[in-house]
Formats: sequence, structure tokens, C-alpha cells
Amino acid sequence: MIDPYYLQQLAIGLSLGMTYALMAIGFTLIFGVLNVVNFAHGEVYTLGAFAGLVLISATAPPVFAVIFAALAIGALAGFSLERVAFKPFRRFTDEASLKSRAMRESTLLSSLAVSIVVREALEIVFGSQMRSVPFEYLINTPVRVGPVILVTGDFIIFGVAAAMLAGLQYLLTRTRIGLSIRAVSNNPLGAKYVGIDTDRTIIMTFVVGSMMGAAAGILTGLYYGAIFPAMGFVPGIKAFVAMVMGGLSSIPGAVICALILGISESMATTFVSSGWSDMVAYGFLILTLIFFPNGLFGARRERV
Amino acid sequence: MTARSSLLKTASLAALVTGALAGTALAADTVKLGYQLPLTGETAQYGQDFRKAAEIALTEFNAAGKPFKAEIVFEDSRSDAKEGTNIARKFVDDKEIVGVLGDFTSGVSMAAAQVYKEAGLPQLSQTASHPDYTKISKYQFRNIATQAQEGPYNAKWMLSKGYKNIAVIAEQTDWGQSVVSGFTEGVKANGGTVVFSEFFNRGLKDYRSLISKLERAKPDAIYTGFFYEDGAQFLRQVQQLGIKTPVYSTSAAYSPKLIELAGDAAEGVHLTSNFLPTDPAPHIQHFVTEWKAASNGAVPGQFPAQAYDAVRIMLAAVEKAYPNPTREKVRDALAQTKDFPGVTGKTSFSADREAEKELVKVEVKGGAFVPVAD
Repeated sequence: MIDPYYLQQLAIGLSLGMTYALMAIGFTLIFGVLNVVNFAHGEVYTLGAFAGLVLISATAPPVFAVIFAALAIGALAGFSLERVAFKPFRRFTDEASLKSRAMRESTLLSSLAVSIVVREALEIVFGSQMRSVPFEYLINTPVRVGPVILVTGDFIIFGVAAAMLAGLQYLLTRTRIGLSIRAVSNNPLGAKYVGIDTDRTIIMTFVVGSMMGAAAGILTGLYYGAIFPAMGFVPGIKAFVAMVMGGLSSIPGAVICALILGISESMATTFVSSGWSDMVAYGFLILTLIFFPNGLFGARRERV
Repeated sequence: MTARSSLLKTASLAALVTGALAGTALAADTVKLGYQLPLTGETAQYGQDFRKAAEIALTEFNAAGKPFKAEIVFEDSRSDAKEGTNIARKFVDDKEIVGVLGDFTSGVSMAAAQVYKEAGLPQLSQTASHPDYTKISKYQFRNIATQAQEGPYNAKWMLSKGYKNIAVIAEQTDWGQSVVSGFTEGVKANGGTVVFSEFFNRGLKDYRSLISKLERAKPDAIYTGFFYEDGAQFLRQVQQLGIKTPVYSTSAAYSPKLIELAGDAAEGVHLTSNFLPTDPAPHIQHFVTEWKAASNGAVPGQFPAQAYDAVRIMLAAVEKAYPNPTREKVRDALAQTKDFPGVTGKTSFSADREAEKELVKVEVKGGAFVPVAD
């Protein structure tokens, strides 16, 4: 007979891992699959949450309208982010620039700049304190499953993450747009030469990935009941670790690693002080980089 | 290119000169204070409240027809110890600054204190409650009860309610450690047992693992060292997991935001405070009204009240040292502060520059903080 305590910790770890996975899916699509260095995903997540919150406090709409608002803002944010921080670096179309690593990686700083500007702007507009979500919108009513207590949000987040994962796998492997995303990621120059509209593909990926990021933001906001400008930072790091562990380009890999991360963190709390539980994520990151330079589930690309 | 940059240089030089001239012209009847506090970053909400409270105090002072005007230079420390020391050096180098307020956290206040100690610039923190802070030098003052005072006080309170086995959790900071050590000593001295004690990282979202682990120790009550954001998450998740163990906390969690964020999960939480916005005394109601006017009708928590008092205590000390206040004279005047009638009660500094405060016991009932007798 297993101690119900461990079952409870396992359940908590899974639900924690699901919230990381939710963030990691959109993040991996842009950063890993499209192979574009993007550090502004956390702010897209925050924007999605704030869009939902603003709508809730303005009109008290039904929940699906809140999600829809977050998706719309996410799409807009993804489009604008690409336009401001990424497109300017593609203005040189000569072969040397397209092949240049430096050109590609310079978006590390431009996306980071956008993320800082967005976060500080949110702080000016909304203030930096946590804002509460009205209680009727929260998705954390306790649900008892045998000896374990979960909340409604755990099931909703599980459903949404599964749908996102399945949808993206279908998109990437079975549709023309998915094919072109993979082509652009593999070799932008080659994709251009065979007639793929690389600009359109990149914008599409940003829009789709950012919609997922924004949906993750509002769902996590409703789940924990607190929305604030700096909320995207920690999940961003966890999603990054999950993506690197999963091998950068593999979305199922990132999801599995997000779950491993969540379970490890909650289990670690049993044996070491909770103050050390963040060590788990960074420890995994270092171990992956040293022992599995291709990630646990990736083999396609050069070293992460 | 060169023509343009030299033009720029001349322009900025001119600006500098006029700025310096204006500075000296003002200096005749203006006294400058420094305030280091987090205005951006994860703890920005506190720093912004402090600035708001300081501005209320400053406007009042300058409108009161005193022999001189006061000015406060605000610098953003981001709650980062390195930033904090840089700001401290900047304030020390500005010879017009005679006193400094801040920082927010004990860690940053203590890092900056090393600089103020060398330069002999008096520092008054509204919130740094780590026991070692005032021990750094004779220039460090604070306007908050320390955990060395509050811990034993709360320990006695909980033991008097019949809770013998108590679990303690606190955030992983200098302050959090002083919460645990102050309280644990108090519990041991009065015949109770601390059955569980652990630290968590500030800003943790999910406390459920920690709560499950804590409940395994089967405590009669939980004592917590957290601020309202962490507190609200913690209380909610305690409720989600169906746990009924009573929760006690420090005055740091005393903020209307705690109830707003935690909702009915905050019901029954016990904590201590030294500021009650519902107190009918006219000077308290005056501050509450001013604060509401400046923040869309929100009620002030304990921290802004402490910042408001800290600024007024500092200004009173400068006034005592006037004319020609020097850093040394301001320090001596601060040390003499006795029964200052603030909104957080009467404040006197003891010989070791600790604020002697009276604590009030409070319980959350019906969505409000209600003072209780025991």
C-alpha cells in the first residue's frame, strides 16, 4: 500500500508540471521548432493574463469570452513582437547574413529588450502589485479523487495542454504550413530557394505560438488567482529548461520534461527544504547540457 | 558627427552648470534627504507605496511653514544588494544629503549600511527588521518591531491558546530566518515544541507540496513568516487541501491586500500589527484619508504607515538639528527621538536605536482585520 502522502505529492507534481507544459508548448514552437531565439514569451503570457483580467473587470463576461480575448491579444502580441524584434534582423537577404549565427542570435537581445519594455509598461499602467481575479472565475474548486485532492483547474489545464499538443503535432506533421515551418527552421535559405514564403511562415508561427502563450497565461492566472506584471518570469525559466531537456525541437519531449520537472520538484520538497526546490530545474538544465547535449528526446539539431 | 557631438557636450555642460547653480541657490533653505527603495522589480509594489507615503509626509511638511523646505531624492534599488550599495555611495557623495531613509528589505538595508557606517550618514529604515541591522553602527535606526520582539510575543500568544506543537515556515531571506529564530526561541522558553520548520523561496506559486509535508508533522497550529502575496497563495492552497489547522503570522502580512487576494481563505488568520487604519484618532484618520485620496480609495496597510512615520521622524530630527543640520547633528537628534506621535503608535528609540513599538493582536473576521483581546 502506497502512503497517500506520496500519491498526493505525485498529483501536485503532475499538476505543477502541467502548468509548466502549458507554457512550454508555445515557447518550444517558436524557440525550438522555428529555431528563433525568443525571450519575450513570458511577457506574451503575462499580456494574455492581463487581457483576460481587464475584460473580466470591465464586463463580467462568460469564461470562454475571457479565453478568446486572451487568444486575440496573444495573436496581436505575437505579430507585433515579430515585427518589432525579429523582422528588422531579416532585412539583409544575402546568403552570408542568412547563414550567420550572429544575425540569428542577435534577437536574443532584441526580444529581451521588448520583454523588459512590456513588463515595465505593465507596471506603469497596472502597478506592480498582484491583482486578484474575482472568485467566480477561479478554476480551483477542490475535487477529491480517492485519497488525493486536486482542483478543477488541474483537469482543465490537462485538457487544454493535451489539445494544444495534439493540434500542434497534427499541424507540424500533416499540413503544408507545418511542413514550411519545419523547412524554414531547418534551412531558411533553402526554404526561400524552393519558393516558401519564409516571412509569412515565421509570422504565422509567432502568432500561433503566442496565442498558446497567452492562453497559458490566462489559465494559470485563473488557476492561481493572482495576476501581476512579473508573473511570466519563473514559468518562462521552467519552460526553457523543459524545452532544452526535451531536445529543443521536440514539443512532446518538452511536455514530458515539463511533467518530469513538476514531479521532481514536488517530490524533492519531501526530502529537502522547499527553499531548494528551484535547484531541481537548474540542476536538470546543467545535467542535460553536460550529459545529453542533444536533449533527452531530440537528435535532429546540433548541440543545444 | 564631431560638430554635433561637441555641440551636445556644450549643451550638457551648460545644463550641468545651471543645475549646479540652482542646487547651491536652493541649498540655503532646502534640506535634502535620500530615500533608497525598490521602485521596479519583484518588490516594486512596496517601494512605490513607500514613495507615496513619503510624498504625503513631505508635502505636509513643506506646507506647514517651517523655516526650511525639505527635498527627498528617491533612488531605485530593485531590492538588489549591489544596487543598494551603489545608491548608498551616491548618497554619501552628495554632501547636501544629511539623512537617508530605506531600504525595504533587511538584506539590502544591511549591505547599504556598511557604506553609511563608514561615511557617518544616519540611515532610518521603515521595514528592515533583521536583529543585526541596528548593530552595524550607531548610524542605523529602524521604525519597525524586530522579529526578536515579535517572535516571542506571538509564541506566548499561541501557547496561551493551547497550541503546544507548532510548525513554522518562513521565506528564505535574512528576515525570514529572523522570524524562525525569534519565534523558535520564544516557543522553547515557554514550554512548547516546534515540530517542523522550513524555508521557501519568495514568490513560490505552489505551496501544496510544502503544506502536505508540513501536515505530516501533525502540528496544532502553523506560524508563518511571509508577506501578503505569498501569504494569500499559501492560505488559499491550505483551504484547497481541506486543512483546518489554525494559521498565525507576523505583522509583515498585515495588509488589506492579503484579504483581497485570499478571500475567505484568510478567515480566522491571526496576526500582530502596530497600525490599525480603523483607529479613530484624528492623526491616523488624517493619514488614511490622504492615502485614500492618493490611491483610488484603497486603505493603507502597515508598511506605508511605517514609511510615513519614518519620514516624519527623520524630518523632525532635521528640524531639531536646524539651522545648519549636519549628518552628525541629525544622527544625534534621531537618537533622542522620544514618544514621537506617529500613526503606528508612539515611537522612541532605545539606546541601541531600536523602535519600541506596541503590538496589537488582530484576527481576520468577516473579511476584515478585527482587533482581538487574546
